[in-house]
Amino acid sequence: MPLPLEGIRVLSQGLVWAGPSATLLLADMGAEVIEVETIQHLNPTRTNYRFPPKALMEGPGGTVYVDRRAEGRFWDRCGVFNYGKRNCKAVTINLNHPKGHDLFIRLAAQSDAFLENNAAHVVEKLGIDYPDLAAVNPRIIMLRFPGYGLTGPYKYYKGYGANVEAIAGHTSLRGYRDLDPSMTPPIYHADPTAASHGVFAIISALRHRERTGRGQLIDMSQAESVINHLPHAFMDYSMNRRTQEHWGNRHPSMAPHAVLPCRGDDEWIAIAVAGDDAFARLSRAMGRSDLTEDDRFADVVSRHRNQDELESIIGAWTATQEKVALMETLQAAGVAAAAVFKSDEMHGNRHLAERGFFETVTHPEAGTHPYPGGLAKFSATPLHIRQPAPMLGQHNEAVFKGIVGVSDDEYEELLREQIIGDSYLEAAK
Amino acid sequence: MTSALTGLRVVDFSHGLSGPYVTKLFADNGADVVKIERPGTGDYARRLGPFPDDLPHPETGGMFLDLNTSKQSLTLNLKSATGRRIAERLIADADLVVESFRPGVVERLGLDYARVAAISPHAVMLSISNFGQSGPYRDYLGNDMLLYAMASTLSVTGQPDREPVKIGLYTPLFLAAGTAAALTNGALWGAQRDGIGQHIDLALMEVLTGTLDRAANNIMAVAYSGDVMFRRSKEYRRSILPSGVYPCADGYVHMVAQPFWWDRFCRTIDRPDLIDDAHFKDNLFNMAVVDELDVILYEWLMRHTKQQIMEKAQGLGLPVTALSTMEDVFHDPQFRSRDYFIRLDHPFAGELEYPGPPFRLTESPSEIRRAPTLGEHNEPILCGRLGYTRQELVVLRQSGVI
Repeated sequence: MPLPLEGIRVLSQGLVWAGPSATLLLADMGAEVIEVETIQHLNPTRTNYRFPPKALMEGPGGTVYVDRRAEGRFWDRCGVFNYGKRNCKAVTINLNHPKGHDLFIRLAAQSDAFLENNAAHVVEKLGIDYPDLAAVNPRIIMLRFPGYGLTGPYKYYKGYGANVEAIAGHTSLRGYRDLDPSMTPPIYHADPTAASHGVFAIISALRHRERTGRGQLIDMSQAESVINHLPHAFMDYSMNRRTQEHWGNRHPSMAPHAVLPCRGDDEWIAIAVAGDDAFARLSRAMGRSDLTEDDRFADVVSRHRNQDELESIIGAWTATQEKVALMETLQAAGVAAAAVFKSDEMHGNRHLAERGFFETVTHPEAGTHPYPGGLAKFSATPLHIRQPAPMLGQHNEAVFKGIVGVSDDEYEELLREQIIGDSYLEAAK
Repeated sequence: MTSALTGLRVVDFSHGLSGPYVTKLFADNGADVVKIERPGTGDYARRLGPFPDDLPHPETGGMFLDLNTSKQSLTLNLKSATGRRIAERLIADADLVVESFRPGVVERLGLDYARVAAISPHAVMLSISNFGQSGPYRDYLGNDMLLYAMASTLSVTGQPDREPVKIGLYTPLFLAAGTAAALTNGALWGAQRDGIGQHIDLALMEVLTGTLDRAANNIMAVAYSGDVMFRRSKEYRRSILPSGVYPCADGYVHMVAQPFWWDRFCRTIDRPDLIDDAHFKDNLFNMAVVDELDVILYEWLMRHTKQQIMEKAQGLGLPVTALSTMEDVFHDPQFRSRDYFIRLDHPFAGELEYPGPPFRLTESPSEIRRAPTLGEHNEPILCGRLGYTRQELVVLRQSGVI
């Protein structure tokens, strides 16, 4: 049985983290996603640096290459790209060259969709904006999702996900209750958020096309997309003109609702107690049934008022416990509790293992590694990693000759003129 | 213009936050979504605040009103045989069935996928749950904070000498739900083309684990290099240039200045003389000089407002944004100029502004209608669609079915 999106050809300039998050969903579901890159400029999804500085390669942060070594074709050995672009194809085109531009337009004429999250001026300057493509292919769907949308005073503003979180109001709603926002860690919620909405929009536009025969432009603002995830604070302002601040780990009604220490170095458990029954179960599990009789904690309002004291009492107990055993004990007792897993604990996690979450894939440059597989279990058309992420320019010949209809001679010319290629020009210097 | 998903029929058994977010995306884009609610109390999200003037009322909960726009509400007691028969008649005409019960409940109700497939073989059914329909955590309790913890994202969010701290209220659920909606829409596309339905078992924990925020990045880093990419850290800068949240005259800004933008950064802070200053220029990754640069940076920041800083930096090509409160968001010139917010009038909550659609399909735009009151569509669905008479509605009501 064919995968759901089999037969749908999607061109992509899906950059950094929002882009791969979108192509992952489309390609996992069977769309033929063709990432359009260039050998003239480094793709920030693969690498930002011709030779990454030592400071970026060591310690936390930075682009993660296999073994943290930026050698050889290190741009083919980047974790983010190789995760988000699995099941995709990759071609290179110098879009600044008239022959390259022509090549892209010919490819777009044969495609169903083009998604891109460049800064808003990029496709306009390159002459590959929606009107340019619709002129040759009125059926094409184009998703543009820069930070702030395709109109308005911020249209050409730049932004990473963390910038988008700030302007959308999310950053002001998170962080520690006792620290100011400059101590707020950056997070990257905006990128996958935009990707999920963007993929939903593309598939919806396919349905419109089925009915009308026409494609369309999708104008998506990553910032607006994030605001859709903040209904609690949004509606509070809308209804009450109340400007919410950060909740930290707390909750509007549950108490305790906290991340508390466990035995060991940097080990934690998250506990969320919804009502009197759950609190009675927690108290029993602690061997402290007296807490339910304590005036400070005997009812939901008292617990909500006296959370500081409650958290220190429970935290003193959790600090003596091992986090996974404690999670299992509390869950068995009917208390909502979760070990704060570290990234290296996910690969061996017994729940994920039993559900077959990770898949092991061999990539010609990166080697053999486990990757998160399909993000949901489809009963009839299971989502799997069918092929590893493409190397730079890997599908040039297949796509340009096979889909666009480029002749052998023309292909040689494109190679000679460096309009296409499979290695960064800078790297050859 | 017709919305893109017009003609799709959805029967929605979900309640709370994540399931309704999925069906909201379908409903706002034209799908006919029948929301099945428990007679009497309805979706438990009706109990969630905020409420106007902090006065709780089942028809004015802010979360419910936003998450259930454009849907129709039908009350149905699924524990009665009559209620199940009505549900089955709706499923028979449905393209999509969504449920977010705890695993095992649809089996007990006799509405599991085997039954759905027997009634409507071309339909897609989404089961959205915290941990999925199988596995050792299947019956665990969870919420946004717990799922964020078990997806490993929480472990790297916060300060190193403090407890990990979650992100905005409920946001991980909406992130996973958006992904669920995208996957479900894809599955529907294939099901209708091939005429074969299927079941989607979606675990919020798995979506969050595989999401390319910090979680999947770190998981890939462990797989590729044996060590994480992110950890909780006091300093998020990897060069002397600012990266993160910084104070200014009237609040805060989020600055990202990559080392290859050193010249733009110097111009932004009105110090073009530093561009060729070897003391900095040759030491962009030398954190020993960061304090010297910060003295210059902070002094400049404190003389400017967040809006001034954003405009100046963006004019020079540097990704810097104001850190907005929700009040700022409401008045932001960008969102206002794009008419992002929408106004909806509701018989109990009155006229309010709501978040607009997360994307704009220029030829088949979203059309967002207010959330339904409990059982508001009992009559049009039961009489108009299923052919019951009004007197039979009374029978159903008196029997506790609706």
